[in-house]
Amino acid sequence: MSAPDVEFFEIFRDEATERLDRMVETLLAVEAGRASDDAVDVLFRDAHTIKGGAGLIGLDDVRTLAHAVEDVLEDARAAGLLAPSLAEPLLRAVDLLRGHTEGRGEPIAALVDELAERRRSAGTAAEPAEPSRPSTRRKATEQRSVRVPAEKLDRLLDLVGETVLHRRRLEHALDGESQATRGVEDELGLGERLVDELKDAAIQMRMLPLASITGPFPRAVRDIAAVEGKEVELELRGAETELDRVILEGLSEPIVHLLRNAVGHGIEPPEEREAAGKPRVGTVLLAAEQRGGVVALSVADDGRGLAPEILAEGEQAGSLVAVLARAGYSTAAQVSDLSGRGVGVGAVKAQVETYGGSVHVESRPGEGTAITLSLPLTLALVHVLLVERGGQAFGVPLAQVEEATQVNGTLSLGGKASLDVRGVSLQLADLADLLGGTAPSPVDKPPAIVVAAWGRRIAVVCDRLLGEQELVVKELGPLLASLDCYLGASILGDGRIALLVDPGALVDAPARRRRREPVEVEVPTNGASPNGRATKILVVEDSFTVRELQRSILEAAGYAVATARDGRDALERLAADEEIRLVVTDLEMPEMDGIELIKTIRADPERSDLPVVIVTSRSTDEDRQRGLDAGADVYIAKRSFDQQALLDTVESLVAP
Amino acid sequence: MSAVHVRVQVRGEVYAVPVEQVLEVAELGEVTPVPGAPANVIGVRDLRGEILPVVDLASVCGLGAGEPARILVAEHAGHRVAFAVDEISDVNPLSEAEQETESDLLTGAALEAGSLVGVLDVARIFALLDRQEAA
Repeated sequence: MSAPDVEFFEIFRDEATERLDRMVETLLAVEAGRASDDAVDVLFRDAHTIKGGAGLIGLDDVRTLAHAVEDVLEDARAAGLLAPSLAEPLLRAVDLLRGHTEGRGEPIAALVDELAERRRSAGTAAEPAEPSRPSTRRKATEQRSVRVPAEKLDRLLDLVGETVLHRRRLEHALDGESQATRGVEDELGLGERLVDELKDAAIQMRMLPLASITGPFPRAVRDIAAVEGKEVELELRGAETELDRVILEGLSEPIVHLLRNAVGHGIEPPEEREAAGKPRVGTVLLAAEQRGGVVALSVADDGRGLAPEILAEGEQAGSLVAVLARAGYSTAAQVSDLSGRGVGVGAVKAQVETYGGSVHVESRPGEGTAITLSLPLTLALVHVLLVERGGQAFGVPLAQVEEATQVNGTLSLGGKASLDVRGVSLQLADLADLLGGTAPSPVDKPPAIVVAAWGRRIAVVCDRLLGEQELVVKELGPLLASLDCYLGASILGDGRIALLVDPGALVDAPARRRRREPVEVEVPTNGASPNGRATKILVVEDSFTVRELQRSILEAAGYAVATARDGRDALERLAADEEIRLVVTDLEMPEMDGIELIKTIRADPERSDLPVVIVTSRSTDEDRQRGLDAGADVYIAKRSFDQQALLDTVESLVAP
Repeated sequence: MSAVHVRVQVRGEVYAVPVEQVLEVAELGEVTPVPGAPANVIGVRDLRGEILPVVDLASVCGLGAGEPARILVAEHAGHRVAFAVDEISDVNPLSEAEQETESDLLTGAALEAGSLVGVLDVARIFALLDRQEAA
């Protein structure tokens, strides 16, 4: 295709996608017998427009199939009714059309014939459809719109961000100049208003309604329900709620995960529901709502709720999300069962956290489960409290700062510093320590901010509070992406860079740090085998730091640890040392990778049942499947790596 | 034929980077430390509105921490890193043909005026940096 053709194609595809989404929605309504009066007209218009567009850019298959669909609808219009039984073949046609517009062209002839056959057997129309078409081309009230590539919008927002910065620099420069005239001040005030409006307008352009991604969901729920033998209806609420385009695009897959869980694990089979006095058809509600600067998006089912033991565990851990997300770590045998639910939740939680959001789970036995994602309205700007520690500026999202206070005296509880904030004792920690850095001792009676996340609170000590600011968030880039304590960075008015701190990581940090300290492990009983000698574990990892980190975690828990740099190295170790009882391996390594290593171990009759745990930064379902297929017992993703999870896993696998 | 390379110095050693992988060179500027980052990442720097990680080339090459004064911005697979170096010497074709070396950070080395110039394997260095985890 030449360049203009490509452009036309993209315009066509965007429009066709919207229309195909709507067709699916309408057809599902027809199938369920709850179609609106104008359903056939709407379907007809969509099919007709797709046909026209396809003809223009020479997509003959799309044109032919859309035409066949149009014929069926034409008949229905004439008959004043679209039979629910026709919805199914039409849905298949829509799928096929979508495939063609997305570049996956499958043969259409069979379906075209089938549609023609259905028309004949219905006996409503022997003659071909009339070329005269309804004159519903363009309503006067239709909104005018322009399609703009997303990159252009991002560039615009970037420039607006720079303008905001430029203003701050200007103010900063003028600050010292007491002789700034009245006229200059007036102009500055006007400039500020203009920049604010410009910023809001630019952000608005990045926003899209939830409805822009919900198109395939009703169909997905219907298909999953069919496979699972359930009867489920998806209800959408607040689909007009707008969110940052980048967040929306990233949410599509997580939402499907949640819907799949709700249908697969939440909703009971129809008989079970009836026996429990519930309506036969289960409901899954996907709802969105804006609350201030946050959008709450929830997937709720009216199914059986989570298992009591999971609820109990959640109660104990103080967070159901953490329990569900961790369930994904359990052994392969359990994955398809209860904790299959966890695999999804772990992935969803990770995705939502990359946007600075959080996940909340509520569940009642017999009544259902609701998973709520709290997401920022936009990723482009964040309102922060700026603080200084060690001469450096850090920003903490204001939404998660409860208050600022002064440290006048600390209490010590079990060796940990704590601070009394209005009668409540909160753990007190130094910002520098929490981030894993070092800084000179804070000033006398330093300020502390109370940060809340995940339902936990911590008082964080810094040197100075610098004030509130709205900042343009910039990414730290892939090199520093493994540092989960930062959301990004911003450039301040004076040109300095402020690192933006993730409140979730702050409340988590003390626990993680504590577990890393070997001294805190009182009696290393875990690894001791009956003969009093420690169980030996082989850690295979090419990164020195990760290898040593895993070694120290395992040794602190009482295991003996041998290490290898790659798969080949590991096989030599295994051949030389018969005492190795378990292997912990990375996937991507030079020489021989983790998959090859596991396959070789499994193929060796001497070691075919040696437990193998994969710890890797590759965390897609596909990678997980590849690892488990190769014969790994457990798969742990590094991005959500939790030392306790590793220890629990190892313990369960080496237990006699 | 010899491709044009940018020559940089770190701790008395000379390395060369193929010019097509170099976006620009600049003063070291103000580098903001990032607590918790791997040891060879000395911080981040603002380069005309873009936040770039600054990596100490001396410690990547195993020469111990350097005392950098300049940066060389390299790009690979769509992401950018500022390598901190002591000095940018010149931009010229390599005078001698490259020879193979054993170092996995180099694509080769050339002998120039009696001293060895290592040609940095930028793709490989990016891959190594990407794989290292936080300290």
